Amino acid sequence: MMTLLTNTHGLMHALSGAALAVSDEAGHAAGHASGPVAQTFAAGPMFGLLVVALPLLACILCGLCAMGRVKTKLPAFLTVLCLAGSFLVTLALYLQHHGQPAGTAWIIQGFEWIRLDYRQMVDSVVQSRSFIANFGLYVDSLTCLWMLFVTGLATLIALYASEYMSHDVGQGYNRFFAAFSLFVFSMACLVMADNLVLLYLGWEGVGLCSYLLIGYFYKKPSAVAAAKKAFILNRIGDLGLALGIMLCYVHFGSVEYKVIFEKCAPYMASLAAGQLDQIPLIAQFIPLCLMIGAFGKSAQLPLYVWLPDAMEGPTPVSALIHAATMVTAGVFLIARTYPLFLMSEYALPIVAWVGALTALLAATIGMAQFDIKRIMAYSTVSQLGYMFAGLAVLTSVGGAAHVFTHAFFKAMLFLACGAVMHGFAGQLDLRKLSGVGSMPGWRVVGIAMLVGCLNLAGFPIITAGFWSKDMILGEAFANSQMQAIGWILLLTAGLTAYYTFRVYFRVFVGPKHYEPGDEHHGDDHGHDHGHGHADGHDEGHQTSGKHGFHPHAPGWAINTVLATLAVAAFVIVPLVALNHGGWVKDMVGASSAQFNEKAAYLIAAKGDLHTKFFGFDAHKAMMVVSSIVGLIGIAVAFVLHYQGRTTAATSKADALLPAFGPIAKWAQNKWYVDEFYNAIVRMPLLALAQIFHWFDKLVIDGLVDFFGWTPRGLGGSLRPAQSGEMHTYAVGMAGGLAVMAVVVIVVLM
Amino acid sequence: MMERLAYLWPEIALFIGTCIVMVMGLSHNPAVRRLCSPICGIFIVAAGVLAAYTTPWGESAVSIAGQTLLPNMPIFAKVLISVVGLVLLLLLAGTVDRQEEGLIARGKRAFDPLRTNRAEFYAFYLFSLTGLMLCASADDLIWLFLALELTSLPTYIMVTLSTSANKSREAGVKYFFLGALGASIFLFGFAFIYGGTGTTNLNAIHASFVQNGINGIALAGLVMALVGLGFKIASVPMHFYTADVYEGAAAPVTAMLAFVPKTAGFISILLLCATIGWQYVPGGETALMPAVGVQGVGGTALPEPIRVLLWVIAAMTMTVGNVLAVMQASIKRMLAYSSIAHSGYMLVGVIVGPGNNTFATSGVSAVMFYLLVYGVMNVAPLAVVASLEKPARSDDEPTEPETLDDLRGLWKRRPALAGMMVIGSLALLGFPPLLGFFGKVPLFTAGISAGEVALVIILGLNSAIGAYYYLRLAAMPFLAETPGAVPSESYDLHPRTSRTFAAALSASAAVVLALAGSQLMDISAKAGYVDSRVNGMDRLQPFKPKLTSVEDGGRPANGAGAVVAPAN
Amino acid sequence: MFGPTLKAMLTPALTLAEGTSAYLPIALILIMAISFAAINLVGTTLLGPNRKGERKGMTYESGMAPIGTARKRFNVRFYLIAMTFLLFDVEIIFLYPWAVTFPNLTPRSSEGVIWLTRIAFFMLTTIVMYLYGRRKGVFKFD
Repeated sequence: MMTLLTNTHGLMHALSGAALAVSDEAGHAAGHASGPVAQTFAAGPMFGLLVVALPLLACILCGLCAMGRVKTKLPAFLTVLCLAGSFLVTLALYLQHHGQPAGTAWIIQGFEWIRLDYRQMVDSVVQSRSFIANFGLYVDSLTCLWMLFVTGLATLIALYASEYMSHDVGQGYNRFFAAFSLFVFSMACLVMADNLVLLYLGWEGVGLCSYLLIGYFYKKPSAVAAAKKAFILNRIGDLGLALGIMLCYVHFGSVEYKVIFEKCAPYMASLAAGQLDQIPLIAQFIPLCLMIGAFGKSAQLPLYVWLPDAMEGPTPVSALIHAATMVTAGVFLIARTYPLFLMSEYALPIVAWVGALTALLAATIGMAQFDIKRIMAYSTVSQLGYMFAGLAVLTSVGGAAHVFTHAFFKAMLFLACGAVMHGFAGQLDLRKLSGVGSMPGWRVVGIAMLVGCLNLAGFPIITAGFWSKDMILGEAFANSQMQAIGWILLLTAGLTAYYTFRVYFRVFVGPKHYEPGDEHHGDDHGHDHGHGHADGHDEGHQTSGKHGFHPHAPGWAINTVLATLAVAAFVIVPLVALNHGGWVKDMVGASSAQFNEKAAYLIAAKGDLHTKFFGFDAHKAMMVVSSIVGLIGIAVAFVLHYQGRTTAATSKADALLPAFGPIAKWAQNKWYVDEFYNAIVRMPLLALAQIFHWFDKLVIDGLVDFFGWTPRGLGGSLRPAQSGEMHTYAVGMAGGLAVMAVVVIVVLM
Repeated sequence: MMERLAYLWPEIALFIGTCIVMVMGLSHNPAVRRLCSPICGIFIVAAGVLAAYTTPWGESAVSIAGQTLLPNMPIFAKVLISVVGLVLLLLLAGTVDRQEEGLIARGKRAFDPLRTNRAEFYAFYLFSLTGLMLCASADDLIWLFLALELTSLPTYIMVTLSTSANKSREAGVKYFFLGALGASIFLFGFAFIYGGTGTTNLNAIHASFVQNGINGIALAGLVMALVGLGFKIASVPMHFYTADVYEGAAAPVTAMLAFVPKTAGFISILLLCATIGWQYVPGGETALMPAVGVQGVGGTALPEPIRVLLWVIAAMTMTVGNVLAVMQASIKRMLAYSSIAHSGYMLVGVIVGPGNNTFATSGVSAVMFYLLVYGVMNVAPLAVVASLEKPARSDDEPTEPETLDDLRGLWKRRPALAGMMVIGSLALLGFPPLLGFFGKVPLFTAGISAGEVALVIILGLNSAIGAYYYLRLAAMPFLAETPGAVPSESYDLHPRTSRTFAAALSASAAVVLALAGSQLMDISAKAGYVDSRVNGMDRLQPFKPKLTSVEDGGRPANGAGAVVAPAN
Repeated sequence: MFGPTLKAMLTPALTLAEGTSAYLPIALILIMAISFAAINLVGTTLLGPNRKGERKGMTYESGMAPIGTARKRFNVRFYLIAMTFLLFDVEIIFLYPWAVTFPNLTPRSSEGVIWLTRIAFFMLTTIVMYLYGRRKGVFKFD
């Protein structure tokens, strides 16, 4: 068939036309935009730069606040104002962009950032080449989608943080909001960049802010260790990304998306025609490198271990950076450079397997944890795995939709956990909290938690999480190559529903009971506030750790944000549910993340994207099957953790643990992954470090000493010439002239 | 004849400023006396603006018949001079007469014009800048010589005036006598060049070299002139004075010495080398570039004897400067030797010449750019030193920090100053994101493209040695104070905030200009433009200096055997 | 046997000398001057008597006996007046050639204006110098 395709032009044309037609149908079923939407480039409106500039302004203002030692909530409100402004500008940008023909990509030229002109001799012809990376924005519908929820959520979470961080006013408050704004700025750079170098700047920027914010409580050793861990693991990923960018430049001669996409077009054509051998190997390496960066940033196997530890940071940070936005940067990277991934034969299957296995592994760990914030962290890892799998099973729409819905409900879950933590003096152990939702003043938190849990568990029809997850599952089963992935994801969906509602049933319903945490003694989870110093409403707390403690219910800011998010979680349902992906489909389908060529290739070469699920249409079947799986998960949690409650803090399920034997213990100990890494990476590295240390001491230091002492020795011999006596100098000058004359004469001879 | 005035407007402005300052500085009214430095500043700015708008460049320089060898150099050099001159003025303000003025203000002493030095100090500074700009305008050897002397003579006196310590007088005297010796050497050289070519006009000298080759007399003249000009840039073997003079002068004057004579020297050396012309060599292919997949585009080189001469001078200058800097305990001596080393780096650019006139291959542009970079960033460490003073006991002058150890604990006491010191010294070291790094890169690339691999390796090794003492300078503020030091001995801020401002300006320029580097690189690439008529790229037979009578057995004077057609 | 070596050694010198025979007299004068000084120095040391003593060590062996020390302070104005005189003197000397040449210029041409401007500029600097000197107190004779 391949030979036919290559040899017979007319037939090829006909077949690829047919392939496109099939892909149309598949696209309909898979929920992606029908028909290829050609990307066209145009100059965009300059006001788009404000999206990036406003968070930077906020950062600078917070910095000024810090310099002026402001002791009020001023920085918080400056930040909220600027971020809200940024959101509004994004909205305006989106609305204006929406009026353009589909597939328009705006390039907003900020200023010339890096430009290196050089000449290179190629085949004895000198060619002028230049390396250009402008500070320019690339605005297509994918950018709009991402920036809308990034700036929107950032605004809400900044508002939440203004209350949450209130005990730190005057101390770290300015620092916190400066880093927060800097994060949004970096994220905006990352998402809106029109070239990979600016993306890399944003990428490193968000990494830096993440580091700064995880280590916000820098007096806590665990927080510092977590910050370092996150930073170092991300560096490993970033190396991949950097290599990818370099390869991009080497191969495409540019780092600008516009050029890269244009130069990709022939490859995509040959892909559609099934001529994979037309695509150079070096180009196929690019996605493999980029992927490593994405795995690092988005906490996938094998680099996921930093994310649970990152919960040491303040909860708003966990919500924004480590749940909603930054960790989706990896998904964004793949979606943005989707054409590059499509043209590699192996890239997407690798992504699929990594995503699916991460999803399953993280879900099993999440089932066995007791710290509710950590459970949420593992669920984030798990859901990120879903997103990767979604991208990889060729539903970039599903992946993006899941990012979108997940951002809302996971931020909400974290913020609800944060409210609990804030109110109960850092208590996060689900064995020590019960019935929180029915306590006075905690109603909003309880409802928000319920909405979040329903979404995460994929409760049928009414939740956005259901629809986005379903898209991924359906497409996985519809793809003949990805059946196994589908089964893993389905299992994960059940586990997810179980551990999500385990948290809900244990902590938010049932008999009222609590043991306050004690934030003065650090324990392993990230209890992150020191209230009791500044707040007036927990008098009893200081006198005794447990007795006389009154949990203080969240205030207006936290409640407003939770309520807004809870409503938003339902409002976005039609955006993802209608017409197989709805609005998100339109957004993604009109961007660089559309994938008709690959579909055409797969259909032409390897079968179709319409595999049946036991004789039923995979998408329709999956809606039912995943609903059932989700409900089973919830039911099991209900039986074990609600009905089975023995006391306020214990349930029958605890007694079941020994029945699972070592498996439960392993899961609880996170499958000993950290220990494993310790053994295979850290220990050998330390040993190597010891060797290098000695090498360094004996050889390098010797060399350095040589370099240090040789000049000194040499200088010592030259020094007498610097006697300070003028006539010595004059003689030296005259003699030097004579020596130089001799040099010239020698050359002449 | 009058159109030549086009080159001279900035100089005229500076000269008028000099006259005004010279008279005003002697006024009996202290308020008028205090106006000296602002007026200086105004005229330097005026000179800069005039330079930017009136100096002919490119084709207009050709039509006016100024020197056409480096047609764009004058405008760049003059604007650079006024910019750096302004920063240096911020630093120089308040160097002389502080005590005297204090005594007068307190009514303890009547104003005595003979005792004050303010008028002379500022006037000489402007004189020196005038001379420097005249160097850039020069199209004639006599003009060039007079301009060089106008640049240097005032600095001898400024060194002497800068502090009331005997050390300064000693330094001034040494500087004067050795300067006279250096000047006599290059003047002798100029005379020989005239003898060899029959003209003092630079364009005509070039024409003569192209037509008749370089005869023995002219070659001797060139050697003497280049070696003698080494005094201005403090290159081996004319470097001996540097450390003593830099150390003897007050820090602001030291900062000036590191920029003004050096710039004059490099402008003159570039002009002289341009009269010989750089010829095209297929250097790139022999260099490292093929190994990394980029083929060289070839570069340019001076005729062999001059190339070797400058090669030896460059290598020795870098090495001697760095090696001796490692040994120093005194900040100013250390910076003096480092200044020698920087001259050595820049000589690499002189040797490799304009390449194909792109920034990456042009050593001339690299020198221009490096002058800018060095002029800007060298201010920071010295300005930090000048911003600090130990309060005087009784009638002595307050003293500046002298040894590196005096900087200990600066981070705790004055974190901002310490930060500037760190940025400044790291920039001088050429630490990647800072300006100094971007200054060094073109020297490396140009050197490689001309095939001067050995020299580039020496340059790299020397940069590594440089790291040793610059890092020491950068680390010193963070070290704990010496145990013996009593708090009263710690340093106060100099009352002139303009000095701290100069330090901040320099340090921030080291960061900001690094970010805005591409524009500056473009401008420098233009500034270092050398007409292909000069570097001989468009000639099929590259111009070889005919060394008359070396026909038998004499190797070709240009080291390159093959001739590569120019790439276009 | 030494011929070729000698020739090789002399080549640079020959190179320099080639086409520069016009400079030969200068070289001869240089050589003569140096050798004259050297011969005299060496000759007096070798031939002359070498006596030492207090009288021999005096500044002027047969002249007047010096009084006091040479490291004596002079009134600084002496230098100032001397320098001022020198400067003005040189300036006036500068005016002579100008004044002699000026009448020879083409009448009513721009050349005259240029020359006049030049000397006016030069005189202006003299005036500034005078002002400076006056303020500095050079002309105060007390």
